[in-house]
Amino acid sequence: MSRESRTLGAVNVVEAVDLHRTYRVTTGAIRRRTHDLEAVRGVSFAIREGELFGLIGPNGAGKTTTIKMLITLLIPTSGSATVLGHDVVKDARWIRERIGYVFGGERGLYERLSALDNLRYFAELYAVDHRRQRARIDELLSLVGLKGREQERVEGYSRGMRQRLHIARGLLHDPPVLFLDEPTIGVDPVGARELRALIASLTEAGKTVLLTTHYMFEADSLCDRIAVIAKGEIVAQGTPQELKAGVAAGSVVEVEVFGIDQPSVERVLALDGVRAAVVEEHEQRQLLIVQTAPGLELTHAILSQLNGTAVGRVSSREPTLEDAYVQLVTAA
Amino acid sequence: MSTLRVALVGGAISFRGLFGWLHPAIFVPTLIVPPIFQVLFFAYLGRAAGLESDTFYVVGNSIQLAALPGLFAMSHAINGERRSQTLAPLLASPASRVALFLGRSLPVMAIGLLVSAVSFSFGVLLLDVELPTRALPTLALAMLAATFSCTALGIAHAAVGLRVREMAVFSNLVFAVLLVFCGVNVPLGDLPSWMSGAAEGLPVTHAVQAGREVVAGSSFLSVAHLLVIELAIGAAYLAAGLVLLRLFERDARRRATIELF
Amino acid sequence: MTRIARIVALGLLIHVKHLSRNAFDVMATTIWPLVYATLAYFMFRAGSQPEALLLASLGATVMGIWSITTVGAADAIQRQRWAGVLELLVAAPTPFWAVLLPITIATSTIGIYALVSTLLWGRFLFGIPLHLEQPVIFVLAIPPTIVSIGLLGFVMASVVVRFRAGWAVGNMFEYPVWLVTGLLVPVALLPGWAEPISWLLAPTWGMRALRDAAFTGGAPLFDIAMCVVLSVAYTVIGAVLLGQFLQSARRRATLSLT
Repeated sequence: MSRESRTLGAVNVVEAVDLHRTYRVTTGAIRRRTHDLEAVRGVSFAIREGELFGLIGPNGAGKTTTIKMLITLLIPTSGSATVLGHDVVKDARWIRERIGYVFGGERGLYERLSALDNLRYFAELYAVDHRRQRARIDELLSLVGLKGREQERVEGYSRGMRQRLHIARGLLHDPPVLFLDEPTIGVDPVGARELRALIASLTEAGKTVLLTTHYMFEADSLCDRIAVIAKGEIVAQGTPQELKAGVAAGSVVEVEVFGIDQPSVERVLALDGVRAAVVEEHEQRQLLIVQTAPGLELTHAILSQLNGTAVGRVSSREPTLEDAYVQLVTAA
Repeated sequence: MSTLRVALVGGAISFRGLFGWLHPAIFVPTLIVPPIFQVLFFAYLGRAAGLESDTFYVVGNSIQLAALPGLFAMSHAINGERRSQTLAPLLASPASRVALFLGRSLPVMAIGLLVSAVSFSFGVLLLDVELPTRALPTLALAMLAATFSCTALGIAHAAVGLRVREMAVFSNLVFAVLLVFCGVNVPLGDLPSWMSGAAEGLPVTHAVQAGREVVAGSSFLSVAHLLVIELAIGAAYLAAGLVLLRLFERDARRRATIELF
Repeated sequence: MTRIARIVALGLLIHVKHLSRNAFDVMATTIWPLVYATLAYFMFRAGSQPEALLLASLGATVMGIWSITTVGAADAIQRQRWAGVLELLVAAPTPFWAVLLPITIATSTIGIYALVSTLLWGRFLFGIPLHLEQPVIFVLAIPPTIVSIGLLGFVMASVVVRFRAGWAVGNMFEYPVWLVTGLLVPVALLPGWAEPISWLLAPTWGMRALRDAAFTGGAPLFDIAMCVVLSVAYTVIGAVLLGQFLQSARRRATLSLT
């Protein structure tokens, strides 16, 4: 809706060029062995002014390492990156004054202090002009909906409230660029919806946002463009539409099963025209999600491979971003 | 036989799991260096106060130091199980509880003996200690007895500690009590009677007495009764600890408060 | 420059507040000084003057301040890591030394509880009179003592930053520093090489300042000046060490941020 109506700037606010990052890993307490682990292997992308850019990928894919390089906490082993035209290695201090970093989860705040104390402290750390601090904190508390509860200790806050406080903290110094690392993780659905609306409003206000998330529908609804990262490399980049189109030539068959075993899944995967098959666990049942090539009616073939497994509902639908993601990531 | 196996194997595994202290980077700065310095510190303090001799402080402190792993390692073992939430399943298992906890206490005792021996040796090396070699075997027995009773106290206090929120403060308190009350640095006669009276029921007191007497020339036989008392005190704390653990377990089952563990 | 002063002042306030709300820290800092004061009382009592006991009280207090600093400051970075806050502190546009410094001073400031409780303990339990020769100077000597000891903790934290178990190293320095700085045992009783080392350590001068203000003779103002001089030196040393480490850590990913 509002996404199409916003015009994006021509300037590349964040630019990553062939980023590499290797870690030296040491294992063992007595006989120590070291080996190199390449977490990021040639990641390149560019984010334009006012864009909400999504970076999605499985755990261990290199998302966090990429972000850490962009927010100047890590120096790339090779390659380069710039934020607002400045190099992340040479102009770290300059960049830090102009970026906000928000991550999801329980931690990241001083529990025994009030929200207000936390904000005051970080305001000073992040170089907010001391004359403007009080007004700014007030403004942000209203923006994230925590006004009236700022004197309470953070240890009494719910997950959703903490997330909102995190966002307020990230916005204290009014940075033009924000890095949001799984901001809605573990938040209840209503709270998460409010957070998403908040995030969308940030780009309306002209900020540039890099978002990582595990929730595909979130990436689909919020992001202007998405990069899918797996095993340290970008496997696809484009608008949500473009990514879905990569899978859209085809359809998805969903079969409700009860206690499916791996050999059955393998047999389904071996069928002609099946591109991917994953099993999703739900409480009492599982969902076998099969992506098929276009123009084929494979429901019967699939079901015949499930001999011996109890089967419930069968349906066929259009692929979603999640399907695109699964296909891209499992192919990597 | 399987009871013994439970004790030994279970002890070894839990030790590795909960006792990251096996890493020299932690072991040395917590269990080797501070004990040596505790001995040195009090010996020098004694010199400054003109009270007793170096030998007095070296024997006293090195024996009391068996309580360091005895208290902290034991409470770490039991509370560590609580934190990793393995205590409930552990108590629910059919294995003999006595064997289980004794198994966990064996490595702790070994460390206790090590701490005593190392701090004693450095005390002898660096200070003016009169040590007849004849006294060494009995002294070693005294350290062993103290190690047993301190570890037993460790189990008992850890059981009590399951009901206490800040375990570390409690352990520190118990260690401090042993340091002050048991005639380690102040002769029992110079302490208020309520303190020296309480010391009679605590570990360390009798082992220290035995140690000092034997280093001063007494024979094993003349101090044997002190060692027996020390062991008896240890046995009493051990029994108390095991009873408490069983009580808490029953209580938790009755009240369905497994979160207790 | 004023921004640095503000972040240090605010940091101190915030962290003292935060640490004060941790019951364990506060209790740990009060128990052990009482234990040592008690032991010193019993050990020195035979034929001692009351002054020796007041001196022992002060010594036990400074021992407590050093205790909480050596473990707390060495552990400071690990605690920030546990709170999940370390990344935010390192990623801030403020130089990290200015962020860490007030945390270590806040740690030693908690030692105020030790000072008060130990002196009261001595007064009410053992009848040690709290007669201070120069009470005003005594009170004035407290902040430089605490700050200089906190800054020695800052140096320690800057060295230990690369380890996760910094507290273990801090723990190791508890007794040795008590001995070398003559808090309960006069330095004169130690081997000759101990004295020059004691001059480089803040607790020596802090102890002297409190002692010289409590009794006649001695030069408390000189001792306070030495605390200030050492404070400056520690700040510079710590800042340089920390800056070097962080720069290398960005390259080699050796600072675990979470």
